[in-house]
Amino acid sequence: MVRLVTHNLLACHAKDCNTNNFPLVFQNVQLEIREAEFNSDFIRNFLPKIEWNALVKTAYELGDTSLPQDQPEMVDDEFLKNLHHVLFEIHIIEGGMVCPNCKHNYPISDGIPNMLLAEHEIA
Amino acid sequence: MAPKAVAEVVVDLDPEAYETQNVHAIYDKIASHFSSTRYKPWPIVTKFLSELPDGWIGLDSGTGNGKYLPLDRQGKIWMIGLDRSINLLKNAQQAGGKAREVILGNALHHCWRGHAFDYAISIATIHHLANPQRRMLAVQCLLRAVSPKHGRILIYVWAIEQDELSKRIIPQGECKEVGSGKDVIVPWVLSKETSPQGTNSPEGEEKQVYGRYYHMFAKGELGRLVTEAATGLNLIIGAADGQVPSSEGVEIVQDSWERSNYYVELRRWSIP
Repeated sequence: MVRLVTHNLLACHAKDCNTNNFPLVFQNVQLEIREAEFNSDFIRNFLPKIEWNALVKTAYELGDTSLPQDQPEMVDDEFLKNLHHVLFEIHIIEGGMVCPNCKHNYPISDGIPNMLLAEHEIA
Repeated sequence: MAPKAVAEVVVDLDPEAYETQNVHAIYDKIASHFSSTRYKPWPIVTKFLSELPDGWIGLDSGTGNGKYLPLDRQGKIWMIGLDRSINLLKNAQQAGGKAREVILGNALHHCWRGHAFDYAISIATIHHLANPQRRMLAVQCLLRAVSPKHGRILIYVWAIEQDELSKRIIPQGECKEVGSGKDVIVPWVLSKETSPQGTNSPEGEEKQVYGRYYHMFAKGELGRLVTEAATGLNLIIGAADGQVPSSEGVEIVQDSWERSNYYVELRRWSIP
């Protein structure tokens, strides 16, 4: 499954595509919401490693507006629950991820993103 | 089970095409049978994962059927599986009966934002790459994937030196160069029941044999590969203690052999 936790780590790796190659933009997606076990310790520790702007922008594009534009200084339970939902409960099943720079489309099928490029497409 | 004979081989094609033919295509064919035999995690991998701090996120590069993905300590750590075989990933996607994050990708390609992970494991993967340069690039991909400050890496590869419990028969004879390892084809036997539909021979033979390419590592070869990879990224090899300011490096914490495999554990460090 592609969830936003994974999407927050992926970047385009096509040849000469080194700037503005993150975050990939979801396109024509089919979503499924599936409950996942809430683990507040993990989320607290993971929080500083998130590329926040990319996460919020992507969540908005998928129709989830529960996260604040700026990462809050005070982390409360409601915030952690919203973050949990955005990171772990939105599953992208079909569609694609498009590089904002070179426009390469990485397809997603049955919840598995295809990040393969031919050798000549690689930097 | 009778021991399986391993045959020496010469990589006679472009290495990428060779891997496509002799690794990726084979795993896609044997995926479901292979998965049913690969469920027992190796203790050193389990130990490595058990010692990571809570909240760490990692890459399992060459996850196969995802047998290490459930070792996430009930969600205290997170792991994303990458593999080149779509059919293995279909197993990995549900490893341990839970939805897992998996990516169809190549261990040689860096499809991540830089240093996105806290840790990475590469278990029984790099030995499927068909020349020394590609194996070195795969190690560099791991070094680039993890945090330059605290990233930890565990790499496992198949060894020429097999233990006595191994079911395989290894061709004897000297390696062409000292410490250069050996290129081999390892058979995988699919019985009729486990063959994918339509792959049985018309004669109705009981078994289909598929050969997978491996590079069997010689003693010392993995450590040298890591050193070469790190040097190519301008990293200092050794401990962080006593290094000068604004330096970056990687320490080889363990370099050892266990049960027919060589493994190394690496830790990245940087001094501001």
